[in-house]
Amino acid sequence: MATISRPLPGLDLKPRSLRVSDYLRWSVDHKIIGVQYMALAIFGFIIGGTLAMLIRWELLTPALDVMADGQAYNQLFTMHGSVMIFAWIIPMMAGFGNYLVPLMLGAKDMAFPWLNAFAFWLLPPSLLLMFMGYFAGQAEAGWTSYPPLSTLYSMDGQTLWALALHLAGISSILGAINFIVTIKNMRPEGMGYFQMPLFVWAVLATSIIIVMATPFLAGALTLLILDRVAGTAFFDPARGGDVLVWQNVFWFYSHPAVYIMVLPGFGMLSEVLSVNARKPVFGYRAIALSSMGIALIGFTVWAHHMFTSLQPQLRIPFMITSMIIAVPTGIKIFSWLGTIWGGKIHFRSAMLFGLGFLSMFVIGGISGVMVASVPFDIHVHDTYFVVSHFHFVLYGGSVFAIYAGIYHWWPKITGRMLDERLGKLHFVLTYIGFFFTFFPQHFVGMLGMPRRVAVYAPEFQDWNVVISLAAFLLGISTFVLLYAMIVSLVRGKRAGANPWRALTLEWATTSPPPASNFYGDPVPFKDPYGYGTEAAFYYLEDLERRYGKPEDAAAPVGKAASQAAGD
Amino acid sequence: MGVNVNLNNRQPSGGQSLSIVWIIAGVLGIIFGGLLIGALTPALLPVQGSAESQQVDALFRFMLVIGGAIFLLVIGVLIYAVAAFRAKPGDRADGPPIHGNTTLELVWTIIPAIIVVILTIYSYQVWISIRTIQPLNHDVEVVGQRFAWTFNYDITPETLPADISAAQLDETVLASLNSDEGLQFSHPQLHTWVGEQVELKMRTEDVNHAFWIPDMRIKQDLLSGRETSITFTPIKAGVYRIVCAELCGAGHGNMAGTSAEIDGEVDLRGAWLVVHEDEQTYLREFYEPEAQKALFPPEDPVERGRQLLASGSYPCGTCHILTDLNWNGNIGPNLNNIGTRAASRVGGQTAEQYLQNSIRNPGAYLVPGFGNLMTQFNDESGEPNYMPEEDLSAIIAYLLTQTQ
Repeated sequence: MATISRPLPGLDLKPRSLRVSDYLRWSVDHKIIGVQYMALAIFGFIIGGTLAMLIRWELLTPALDVMADGQAYNQLFTMHGSVMIFAWIIPMMAGFGNYLVPLMLGAKDMAFPWLNAFAFWLLPPSLLLMFMGYFAGQAEAGWTSYPPLSTLYSMDGQTLWALALHLAGISSILGAINFIVTIKNMRPEGMGYFQMPLFVWAVLATSIIIVMATPFLAGALTLLILDRVAGTAFFDPARGGDVLVWQNVFWFYSHPAVYIMVLPGFGMLSEVLSVNARKPVFGYRAIALSSMGIALIGFTVWAHHMFTSLQPQLRIPFMITSMIIAVPTGIKIFSWLGTIWGGKIHFRSAMLFGLGFLSMFVIGGISGVMVASVPFDIHVHDTYFVVSHFHFVLYGGSVFAIYAGIYHWWPKITGRMLDERLGKLHFVLTYIGFFFTFFPQHFVGMLGMPRRVAVYAPEFQDWNVVISLAAFLLGISTFVLLYAMIVSLVRGKRAGANPWRALTLEWATTSPPPASNFYGDPVPFKDPYGYGTEAAFYYLEDLERRYGKPEDAAAPVGKAASQAAGD
Repeated sequence: MGVNVNLNNRQPSGGQSLSIVWIIAGVLGIIFGGLLIGALTPALLPVQGSAESQQVDALFRFMLVIGGAIFLLVIGVLIYAVAAFRAKPGDRADGPPIHGNTTLELVWTIIPAIIVVILTIYSYQVWISIRTIQPLNHDVEVVGQRFAWTFNYDITPETLPADISAAQLDETVLASLNSDEGLQFSHPQLHTWVGEQVELKMRTEDVNHAFWIPDMRIKQDLLSGRETSITFTPIKAGVYRIVCAELCGAGHGNMAGTSAEIDGEVDLRGAWLVVHEDEQTYLREFYEPEAQKALFPPEDPVERGRQLLASGSYPCGTCHILTDLNWNGNIGPNLNNIGTRAASRVGGQTAEQYLQNSIRNPGAYLVPGFGNLMTQFNDESGEPNYMPEEDLSAIIAYLLTQTQ
């Protein structure tokens, strides 16, 4: 059956080869912009991760001994949080969205290519501004920057921090408008909303949240900057201001921001689980609509971040809404379990991280319900319990999903495979490192260790040593991924168009795709998750005939298969 | 073609191949597993020091049982799926084309919804119960400032110690005792007694703080420009650490009680809650001696300065070391022997001038190796901390006696 591996005659396949310099300059190609976002984000991840290592180094002992003083330590976690959110997770998700949404829709580019590039190029100056803070007295009020600590008691780095977030916020809003317009208008014929891949659904839900919530961040930051530089008193109670205004407006953005960071991950997870379990997504509509439900309810829960500062009589309504949001999240988790149940699971690296996500995110969900309960939250609020909770959501959730996404779409983006053995090593180290870094934080938090301290009671030292050692392992695990990326770029196996035999449209073209994405107008398969049907089988066979097989065709699907195909 | 399509070599639903026995075993395992996890509650939480803590812990145990069961369910299904539905090497076939199951989806929507409703109602009941305030006769003012807690206790004509009559008092003391503002004394520790619901009225001198006693399960933010309050009822005599839980600056972590062992005895420093056995003990061991000090302020400025600093009215002890007062802060310069050094620190300044400048305007001269972190105790700084002139001179007089 040698003919199968040879492309059909007449189709002039030109997988694009791009140089590094192509990624360093202005481009309106969504694929280049997507990679630019991701490269910047990985750079941010390395910086934020280094800061995290310093935090854990400091916390090896109950005394302040690594950092010069308490201020330096406060700057450390302020930057860690800000960088991880605004320079890692959000741009990484934006990168995936940029690269994948037009491809999944069979489109040639985003709706507004120039705006797309502009949104990206706001980020490097944003990151630069944030780090310039180190020359002006770095921000030290935490990423939540509550006044009056962030207004009357902070140095000029705080102003730069606010300006940096302003830029990142504008970038986010412009990107989100672009996504909404693209998804609304550029779907191919035959693809209604309910035939869209779930990642596209997730990006749509995320973009709606960004457009509605991020202006509130901009508003809060503007007031903060005015208080700091223009002598206004929005947050200064001595002159008629109110410190709770900041907390309300900030969290009105920053709680939905959690969903901005995790919903695209949910979308990637749906893709990865379905492809690697060779089974349709279980309850497609429920997953798609629960993203929208989460987006909507997510706007009504913000004050659960203020259960110890909000007026007591206002706390209960926010407990109710916060509890409700567990329901659509639960629907997703059960639907994903339904997706892998009865399938034929291929344990590729992407799938391992997908399953790892399921097992870790559920812990973050359970602790999330616990902290939604006002009486219990009063005890654990602002402690390591909360630190643990949101790392289970944002690392066990978002970052695991990003890892799954990297392993899944790397071959499409680069045209080369990542080494599966390195991927598995990366997974094992990350999984163990992650669990033992963040799970014991529940214990120290409940027992009495507040967050954001460099000095803590000596009885918590044992757990903190365990946590720090695990964190160092987690830090090391990242280098396995970086190494695997380099190895793949240097001598990775050719991926072919569709190494995972997936049905969504981004696989119906060469890897990497040509500048205009497709050769002719692609026709989407009627069901993006229609695995297990004869039509899907022949569609995938046809793709292989058109665009060629992976170099190591035997590896992803097994040796016996190619032998079986040969008889 | 010879291609073996072989789409579904498995039964359409893996679920049907599970025998009923396994399902029952799984359900029982999840229930007992949840209960077992819930049984860990006492190990996960600190001492139950207050009536509130018992209710909060019971609520947590309930959530932990349910959460543990859900965790085991998800992990159990995941592990089973991973083990049972592994693709064989070389298997090119797909799984069954199942797109969903409405009944199942309704079940996993409705059951979690019911669970969260139950949790919400239970949480609400606990919340209402721990916020019910009986008629109180004990309240304490809590002042948070960077980086220490101060507790202010009222002295009224009714609470005067029995052996003191108003006639013995100094005129100014008597005047403030009878005034609307009343007379207060400050202490760095919070004292109360078993069984008494106490209300803490909180205000901050500067940024936001959060007052947390882990053993009591209470926490409340102190908000700049607002007065906040919280109540609790201790049920067990003992000492309990007080912690600041809201980021307040460089010394945030130092705003918690610490302890040191000196000659086999535990010496408490910084912010602690001391719960006495009963009201009599509280009055005898704490309230009356402390009230005495406030009612009969020492004439000697050195004594007065020492008493002021020891009372925690000013937050110096968190950052400075001073053995005479048991201060062991590690943020600012060491104050031992300051009486000898003060005169030679800055050229042209006497010891008094140097100390006065260091308190009123600490940024003007920085001891080598230390940053500009100290609160300015003057009324021009825009910060509300203000040290009246008579306090300042008493404190300087006392500091000048520190010559070893």
